[in-house]
Amino acid sequence: MDARILLVEDDPSIREVTAIGLRSAGFTVETAVDGAAGLERFAAGGFDLVLLDVMLPRIDGLEVCRAIRRTSTVPVVMLTARADTIDVVVGLEAGADDYVKKPFEVPELVARVRAALRRAGRGPEDAERLQLGPLTIDLAGRSVARDGTDIALTRTEFDLLVELARHAGQVLSRDILLDRIWGYDYLGDSRLVDVAIQRLRAKVETDPAAPHLIQTVRGAGYKAVR
Amino acid sequence: MIRGVRARLAITLVALVALTAVLLGAGAYLFVENNLRQQAIADAAAQARFDLSVTVAEAGLPPSPTVDDLTASHLLDRFHQRGVGAIVDLGTNGAAVSEGDLNGALSTFPADLRQRVDGGQLAYAWTTIAGTPRLVVGGRVGSTGPVVYFVRDATAIDAALGQLRVALVIGTLVLVLLALLVARLIARGVLAPVEAASRAAERIERGDLSARVPVTSDDEFGTWARRFNGMAEALAETIGRLEAAEAQNRRFVADVAHELRTPLAALVAEASILREHLDDLPAGSRRAGELLVADVGRLRTLVDDLMEVSRFDARAEQIALEPVDLGRLVRAVVAARLAEAAVQLPDAPLVVETDPRRLDRILGNLLDNAREHAAGAPVEVTLHSGRDDIVLTVLDRGPGVPPARLERIFERFYKADPSRHGGSSGLGLAIAAEHATLLGGDLTAVNRPGGGLQVELRLPVTQSLPHSDVTAIDAADAGTPTQSQQETQP
Repeated sequence: MDARILLVEDDPSIREVTAIGLRSAGFTVETAVDGAAGLERFAAGGFDLVLLDVMLPRIDGLEVCRAIRRTSTVPVVMLTARADTIDVVVGLEAGADDYVKKPFEVPELVARVRAALRRAGRGPEDAERLQLGPLTIDLAGRSVARDGTDIALTRTEFDLLVELARHAGQVLSRDILLDRIWGYDYLGDSRLVDVAIQRLRAKVETDPAAPHLIQTVRGAGYKAVR
Repeated sequence: MIRGVRARLAITLVALVALTAVLLGAGAYLFVENNLRQQAIADAAAQARFDLSVTVAEAGLPPSPTVDDLTASHLLDRFHQRGVGAIVDLGTNGAAVSEGDLNGALSTFPADLRQRVDGGQLAYAWTTIAGTPRLVVGGRVGSTGPVVYFVRDATAIDAALGQLRVALVIGTLVLVLLALLVARLIARGVLAPVEAASRAAERIERGDLSARVPVTSDDEFGTWARRFNGMAEALAETIGRLEAAEAQNRRFVADVAHELRTPLAALVAEASILREHLDDLPAGSRRAGELLVADVGRLRTLVDDLMEVSRFDARAEQIALEPVDLGRLVRAVVAARLAEAAVQLPDAPLVVETDPRRLDRILGNLLDNAREHAAGAPVEVTLHSGRDDIVLTVLDRGPGVPPARLERIFERFYKADPSRHGGSSGLGLAIAAEHATLLGGDLTAVNRPGGGLQVELRLPVTQSLPHSDVTAIDAADAGTPTQSQQETQP
């Protein structure tokens, strides 16, 4: 795998060891020591994935993530010291695709990076269109429209919507969604799913407080209406 | 207590006032009565003396007069016109009376009166004739003449005395009522500061150290109130100082744990790479590398636990309830932490509303503890539900804990066996107990009779699932949450 990764991390030890780990896993790694430097490097282009520390001097990671999202759909994985639900929410709102909690073991990080790259590299499987209620999902163009109006979804939100729509009427547990969308083959944080579902609902439901298209099945998971 | 003081004060004051009023009233009454009667007697005696020596003598009665003689003299008519009744005792000739009421009255007169009068003295007596109080004054005309009794109506005196009695009783009652009122006012005045102090003390007892007693006077109460306030001040200051020290302590622990996180994150990442390459190290440094990797793991556990403890201390913990299949959770946690433990679950799925992350932490820490303190010994995990609680038991077949140390094993950094150095932080059981408390339950530990430690988590179940609170579920796959979950689990 010859992917190029931009690592933005202020702590020199963590930066160096993470870079070593990623390089020995076969990635090409460029590093930046703070948010401003990170954005500069990113502007030069050519990255397949960005690893972003949340707590960065000058411009913090969330701000950097928002700036990247304005011009690019490149996968962004946040490195966060805290993993309270609120941090997860804020991270996903800023446009991050995934987060890795510090401290992390390098093999774990590599697995998450690979999963994110795999999802990003997942091409259009077929020129299929899916219909979910009033939503038209264009798999080839990776776009969603409601009554002819496009809805802007992040990559994760789009994948989640497609997964639910493909199994409309069937309950998908949080673990299954974690596995299929985020590529976790181990016990992940199911809050990630809950937060992403909330974000998705806010965009596709007419009344996110009383969701109609994507429903919660208590104690089981989520399902899309048939 | 306050009511008691109030009652005692009222009773004392009323008794004093009532006693004084009765004594004064009785004295005044006796004085007035005596005066009235003496005056009446003096008037009647003077008149009687005059009538005996002048009026009767001038009537010109013969010696040993008869009733007819008296009638002829019109003497009795003159007395009657004056409003004074008269009885003339004519000895063997009978008695003449000035009015019908007095017929036969002579025989009712006290014997003492008649003896004195017969003996030539002027004498008086208070008596009742025909139902009316009378003053009788009797005397003999000359030394051998007839005996005359003058009978005066004493109703006016009795009526006056009766009015006086009524006035005195009413006056006494009014005084007693006044005394009650005054007692109330005094009690209020005296007890108000006591009540204020009582309220202040109660507030302090409830933890409000800002409560103070109002200092309203310069008397003993004022002094006392100042003392009380001084004490409360000192108490608040001491407690404030202790709390500040405690908060500083906790902040320090939180800061330490936080500051350790960044170097720890580097260490963990570095150790994870080192672990991959242990085999490449020369034999001399390989063992050191292995120990380093293991110790980084220990350090990570310790810092994680410290962070957790400082979150408890900052009360920053929130509970996220959701329906949890306990059997599934127990199996998953045991598989991850101590796969060789035997698990015993109830036959039916047990789904309750709880916070699965906390339950995961509790059971995980209990299993870590069992693994460490009963290394190699069999461990059993049992889940069963009672009527209104569920009980999760972790039992090891290790050496157990000396009874004296049993109740301390949930304290932070308490090690039941000080010589043991395991991979745990010494915070695991304390953290488990904190989580249990947050979930409304508790953790208890006992030694098993056959050897081994048994730790029991008891959780109250307020809401039993499965229930119908399922958000917008179709009739097509309606069912218990557990069932639908199982369907989708390959």
